[in-house]
Amino acid sequence: MKWTNVRLFAMNFWHNATTLKTFYFLYLIFILLTAFAAVSGIQNHITQNDIREEHQTKARQSWEANPDKHPHRMAHFGTFAFRINAALGIFDYGLESFTGNTVFLEAHRQNSVNFSEATFSTGMLRFGELSLSLLLQLVLPLILFFLGFSSVAKDRQNGTLKMLLSQGATWKEILFGKSIGLFTISMLFFIPIFLAVIIALLIFGQQAANDFLWLRLLLISCGYLSFLFIISSITIIVSASTGTSKNALLRLLGIWLLLVVLLPKSAQAMGNYWFPTPSKLAFQSAIEKEVIKKGDSHNPNDPHYNNLKDSVLSVHNVNKVTDLPFNYSGFVMREGEKITSSLYRKHHKKLINIYKSQNDITQFSSFINPFIAIKQLSMTMSGTDFSSYIDFQNQADNYRYQLAQTMNELQMEYISPKKKSGSEGKTHVVNHEHWEEFKDFNHQPMAFSKSIKEAFLALISIVLWILFTFWLLLFTSKKAKAI
Amino acid sequence: MTTFKLFLQQCIRSKEVWISLLLITLLGITSIIIGNKHLKRQQDAIAEVNTYQAQHFDRQVALHNEDLGLLLYYAKFAYINTLNPLAGLSIGQADVNPTVKRITIKTFEAQKYDTDLVNPMNLQSGNLDLSFVIIYLFPLLVIVLSFNVLSEETETGTWRLVTIQARSKLRFIISKLLIRLVLLYVILMFLFFIAKLVLNLTFNSNFFWMLGLSMLYTLFWFTLTFFIIIFKKSSGFNALLLLSVWLILIILLPAGINAYVSSKHPVPEALSTAIAQRDGYHTKWDTDKLATIEKFYKHYPQFKKYGYPTDGFNWLWYYAMQQMGDDDSKNQQEALNEKIKLREETSRQIASLIPNMHLQLVFNRLSGTSMSQQMDYLDATDAFHEKLRLFFYPKIFEKQHADIIDWNQFTPEYHETTSDVSPVQSMIPIVIASIFMILISIPMIRRL
Repeated sequence: MKWTNVRLFAMNFWHNATTLKTFYFLYLIFILLTAFAAVSGIQNHITQNDIREEHQTKARQSWEANPDKHPHRMAHFGTFAFRINAALGIFDYGLESFTGNTVFLEAHRQNSVNFSEATFSTGMLRFGELSLSLLLQLVLPLILFFLGFSSVAKDRQNGTLKMLLSQGATWKEILFGKSIGLFTISMLFFIPIFLAVIIALLIFGQQAANDFLWLRLLLISCGYLSFLFIISSITIIVSASTGTSKNALLRLLGIWLLLVVLLPKSAQAMGNYWFPTPSKLAFQSAIEKEVIKKGDSHNPNDPHYNNLKDSVLSVHNVNKVTDLPFNYSGFVMREGEKITSSLYRKHHKKLINIYKSQNDITQFSSFINPFIAIKQLSMTMSGTDFSSYIDFQNQADNYRYQLAQTMNELQMEYISPKKKSGSEGKTHVVNHEHWEEFKDFNHQPMAFSKSIKEAFLALISIVLWILFTFWLLLFTSKKAKAI
Repeated sequence: MTTFKLFLQQCIRSKEVWISLLLITLLGITSIIIGNKHLKRQQDAIAEVNTYQAQHFDRQVALHNEDLGLLLYYAKFAYINTLNPLAGLSIGQADVNPTVKRITIKTFEAQKYDTDLVNPMNLQSGNLDLSFVIIYLFPLLVIVLSFNVLSEETETGTWRLVTIQARSKLRFIISKLLIRLVLLYVILMFLFFIAKLVLNLTFNSNFFWMLGLSMLYTLFWFTLTFFIIIFKKSSGFNALLLLSVWLILIILLPAGINAYVSSKHPVPEALSTAIAQRDGYHTKWDTDKLATIEKFYKHYPQFKKYGYPTDGFNWLWYYAMQQMGDDDSKNQQEALNEKIKLREETSRQIASLIPNMHLQLVFNRLSGTSMSQQMDYLDATDAFHEKLRLFFYPKIFEKQHADIIDWNQFTPEYHETTSDVSPVQSMIPIVIASIFMILISIPMIRRL
């Protein structure tokens, strides 16, 4: 294989494609779409984060404005955790619209994360969202198919191919040359999008920057470059192995439909079918049952808490809880919170594992579907994927636990042991300066080390796809026929 | 008649046509099975809540018989959004919105928007229900079947023969397309029939409207295809153009419109309401009890007779505070409702210009899975909540014992969704779109 020949074919392909008038028409439309997606991506990112930050501050202000009061009142006053849209969310929306934005954090209760865009949307959201990543994942492949479907098939139909081969060119050179040619054309589409992303990140990216932002972007770009090369080569391979250009086009469109529309949807539907999500009631009552078994602090006759009381009394050598050196009701609540939280976490983890099994079908389908591989990689590295959402939930729940336990400890320390129960009134109170001391919730986008772990499968499948593509190019170059 | 038979044979001769017809039928059946699974899961959840509720009350009454106020702090009452079996055909918003709500008589706003357990990945990939098959895939089938109806004749050289022999060229093309239309209608009816059997649907008007609208929608795609093939371009060009139209209408336009609507009308009101209801209730622990109770009596003058107990903790004051969570966040709630209505109105208006979006919204409304019906359900839940409050407030204030109350009367209650779709109105946008396609084809028909 002579590289000069490969370069010749690549340049020839470039020349042929870019002289077409329809090419410029497509290009113009694509650039307009890019501009629209970039502007709405940036706008959405900024307004959403502004709204959430504003409300985070508002919620914090009313937290700090609380006067001296019983700490248990503060544990129920609670606070809100707002999810921040990561900076790379400008590029890839991921699950952004389908995950809740805020959760109310209070003692004893794990509330649901509410107010996702999807809950306030008519059925329209389900048609999809126009993001920059969508353009690269879905529209650009289609454009590449349109530009490349006839590249070999047409040469065969009009006999050019025979001439080329008889003059000493090899199939390898033709296929690699044309693939590279189509790939370089895809750069015309790819580069504006990435410039837009870089500019957007430089100007607006500081607000909720992912860590290792540029490394993430580098990985995402490498992913898309590989993906575009895979798509370019597949286009040329299909064109080379199909008799007529019309059939080549139909085949490519069939592939697109199968891999972009049908397969991803069916994969997720299968996951959902085989690993059903439990109902909310089943989930909650399972926890409730275990809490009752282990010890229900709200039941006055609960054996676990009666034993606990006896042992605490004997350790401190007193007869009544009011003689203890700390507030006993705070102590019980601390114990209760520990039990319920650990049980909740156990069940929540189980639930997340069910979700993960559902998603695994999609994840593993990336080995037969490069579109899924790039989608997963892009979403995960942008910090808008499923694991990032779970990471937010965990951050919020950890904060909730800390909040409840800090308030319980304040109660043990500062509320008179004589105050047996109840949190009403102005006599048994804690100084309001403690409220400010307890730091506000601050959502950190998922750490790079975690993201890369999540993206591992997608990365491997992209590497495998690249290898497979090379093999396919070589294989086709041996089998392809000139007529 | 013989020509029709000939056309039919010609149409189903090719392998590709058979495969695509088979594929869509299989996908249609799969989608019905998926819809059935969705319904089954909801039914199970409803059955579950029915058995659970009695046990739940038994336990609460046993624990807190003497303290009704405390009991109602924990007691949850189920309110169920009655399942319309048609939801199995168009799952719509039913996957993100819960069908069963279990509420306490405390602040309603704090519970109103609690979500079900949902996997966001499932939401993003969307449901593979029959509405998806009809809206996304039937147009593709129309394209596959008819993109070369005319160009094939010119490419194989038979068009000249046709121009000589056929009485009318237009009739020739139309009858060829008609065969394909009938073929697709047969598949549609077959799928709806399967759906009726699997999902136990009754042959009611909504069922037939769904079928009718699907047929109309398919017809729209035929008129669109007709407009494009009549330019007598090559088969490849037709396929390319038709698919581009499909891509624009079904993927790009809705996605763009969505981006527009969600960035034009964000919903900060939801978050403000959440904070307002929290502050409305919780700050009352520190303010004057008398003022809180007075405010409560302003809302419910009928309870004035229970007086103004301000000494220490008491349930009257407690539930008055909870009430303030709802009352003090009224402004924010109204703003939120307004915004949701605005969003719905905007998308409805835009959707009426784009048949596929319009059809999806109408399907959802016919199946009771639309956003506005969810809002109706939430409003009804609010009324249910109010009913519970009015029932329990006096009993709590009178410090009644829990075992005096007949708890068996509190079986889960049901909300009946109404679909307010005017059949004729819902047809208009698709009919207009079809007529428009035919009208703009007329100049080309003349030049056939």
